[in-house]
Amino acid sequence: MISVTPKNLSEHNVKLDLNNLSPEQVALEIRNLDLYYGNKQALQNISMSIPKGQVTAFIGPSGCGKSTLLRCINRMNDLVDTCKIEGQINLHGENIYDRHTDVAALRRKVGMVFQRPNPFPKSIYENVVYGLRITGENNRRVLDEAVENALRSAALWNEVKDRLHESALGLSGGQQQRLVIARAIAIKPEVLLLDEPTSALDPISTLTIEELINDLKKQFTVVIVTHNMQQAARVSDQTAFMYMGDLIEYSDTNTLFTTPLKKKTEDYITGRYG
Amino acid sequence: MNNWFKSGSPWVWLSAGGVSISLISVIGLLWLIASRGLSYFWPADIYQFEMTDEQGINTTVIGEIYDRENIPTSQLVHLNLDLDTSVESIERLLIKTGNRELVSLDFRWILVPQISQQSLPEDLVLIERRTNGNFYGYIENIILDGRTVGLEKMPELVERVSEFQAEMEELQKVDIGAINYQIERTRLKERKHKLDETLTPELQLEFKNTVASLRADYEVLEHALMGLREKISRDQIVMRAMDGQKVTINFENILKINFNNQLTLFGKIKLFFSQIGSFISDDPREANTEGGVFPAIFGTVLMVLLMTVIVSPLGVVAAIYLHEYAGNNALTKLLRIAVINLAGVPSIVYGVFGLGFFVYMVGGSLDQLFYAETLPSPTFGTPGVMWSAITLAILTLPVVIVSTEEGLSRIPSAMRHGSLALGATKAETLWRIILPIASPAIMTGIILAIARAAGEVAPLMLVGVVKMAPNLPLDGNFPFLHLDRKFMHLGFHIYDVGFQSPNVEAARPLVYATALLLVSIIVALNMTAVSIRNRLREKYRMLEH
Repeated sequence: MISVTPKNLSEHNVKLDLNNLSPEQVALEIRNLDLYYGNKQALQNISMSIPKGQVTAFIGPSGCGKSTLLRCINRMNDLVDTCKIEGQINLHGENIYDRHTDVAALRRKVGMVFQRPNPFPKSIYENVVYGLRITGENNRRVLDEAVENALRSAALWNEVKDRLHESALGLSGGQQQRLVIARAIAIKPEVLLLDEPTSALDPISTLTIEELINDLKKQFTVVIVTHNMQQAARVSDQTAFMYMGDLIEYSDTNTLFTTPLKKKTEDYITGRYG
Repeated sequence: MNNWFKSGSPWVWLSAGGVSISLISVIGLLWLIASRGLSYFWPADIYQFEMTDEQGINTTVIGEIYDRENIPTSQLVHLNLDLDTSVESIERLLIKTGNRELVSLDFRWILVPQISQQSLPEDLVLIERRTNGNFYGYIENIILDGRTVGLEKMPELVERVSEFQAEMEELQKVDIGAINYQIERTRLKERKHKLDETLTPELQLEFKNTVASLRADYEVLEHALMGLREKISRDQIVMRAMDGQKVTINFENILKINFNNQLTLFGKIKLFFSQIGSFISDDPREANTEGGVFPAIFGTVLMVLLMTVIVSPLGVVAAIYLHEYAGNNALTKLLRIAVINLAGVPSIVYGVFGLGFFVYMVGGSLDQLFYAETLPSPTFGTPGVMWSAITLAILTLPVVIVSTEEGLSRIPSAMRHGSLALGATKAETLWRIILPIASPAIMTGIILAIARAAGEVAPLMLVGVVKMAPNLPLDGNFPFLHLDRKFMHLGFHIYDVGFQSPNVEAARPLVYATALLLVSIIVALNMTAVSIRNRLREKYRMLEH
């Protein structure tokens, strides 16, 4: 069993009942989601509610569909030609898979950070303001302010404030990942999706990012995919365990790691497979 | 032995051998054309040979040694020369004697055994002329403003004449040219109104007045020109040729007077560079066998630049469509194969296509629609620099498409995803992220396109290149860039000078010099593109993961 510091619980005295959230507590609602890659079904009938202002982690063995589920939330799976999706994901009560959804606008509301840091080959400044420039914001003062806020939120400001106009590719891996986070939060999304954000980083950078995630949930709803159970235990409020395209168990992190209800969950978190 | 094969060293040797063979051929090629081409500019010594022929008659030959070769004595026996038949071969020299008004050929072979004396007299003069080629001989006297003066007046005279010449050149090419152009345009405007049936008597009168005033200006300029001609024709130089004949040469006709035999090494080097300079900056003379190649350089560079401007956006857009938008299906694959195969079509086929489609069909229709007033003489319905650029753009399109696509496919998908996840649409991602990152690859495509287009001659012969273009495609008359004009091209110039020239011996070094120039220009164009590419590469360098 993994020991979990109950710090999350001390912050939120009231434990959320994930099956009975009030509408204002819900950031995202996934309903009966099926996903197929060609003929192969990758997600089966997933239903869950992701609470607002909290960190929700998806864990599970490789190929269980946790990244796929995450990418459904900002419709990045649209880029895969053979991918077919049934069911709903509701954001503010509106299905993002509706035919009339503006995907670009959705992605501005649901930001995403990938496994490997992927800064653009531009300056640090231009990386951060990229999303704003896309929306047509060119006012120098607004951009400067946004850069400072985003970099401060991503705990990168002090390291790069003197070289904002140098290439982002000169940063270290951990700094690049925080830059990418800053870039994502510069456009003020509601939800931030993190797809194994520390898997390409060294332990110290990982720690910095984990601390950052804790700060981020004050402003954003964070959904994180991780293959690292300790990380899930450390950073998340809710954890969903997935296996072979099924959502096996979804509850608050403390419960899931201490008293899992399902046998499969227990086997996984005790390291019997995965 | 077996181990030696296994160690891989034979393959290392083999590949090193391959590299050295390529290197040797490149260096050899450059060395050959550079040495032959540059020696043309080196001021040669002017020899005076005293010859005694088989009948004992003495003659004097003055000129530059152009070539030397050994010929078997047996070939000369039938000439009944008084030769020592015991030696197998004797040497003969090719002498450039110039003086075309006295002898019809510039060149003359002399046999070395017949030379009784050879010297390098210091006061021998080489005069470069506008017409009739070089003159070799001694200066007898100088006539300045109709009066005979001493040789010491020479520098003053040369300066005076070059001033006059510059003035005349300016008058003829710029001022008179502009007036002629305006008169022609006024005539065309009038004709257009006539065709459109909008020609009112007022307009007609206006046009008439315009032409009249232009003609008056023309008269004034022509008068000035005549005055200059008159003045310059009062300056003459009297020369004594090798056979003692006296020849009067008008200064108007003289480009340069050189005492080659008096030159020090430094003076020769100076003259060498000034000759290279005038080769690059002058117009050709005497059916392209003399003078410079400036119009050809200009035409080549302009055509290549136009081609680049046309092919780059076209190729990039096509590659983007193929790579980013077209579905990954059989049709796309077929298209891609077709594009690649297009690069293998012989260039003359593009020339035929360009002539048939662009020049006659598109150009013909353009004339009907927009230039009806000039018909029946065509404007765009005839070969010209624009059609050449477009034809070569089509020819080099596959190169740009293939390398752009290559560049696009090398961009990690993380870049696209990163941009899309920030709420950018596909088009915004392409424009802001993908194209900048792919720009070095696009530049590579453009470099290859330039390299191919600058060296291409065959299609151009059908769609716009001429032996001698009276005007550059770019001048001071509105609209400045005349895309309908024919142009000269260095590649075609080489062919023309080398193989269509009436004066083969004189043209040979020019072929090498022009080839050297063409290679240098292509290298210069490529180096520019390469340095741009390297800067882009540095800017968009991806971190190695």
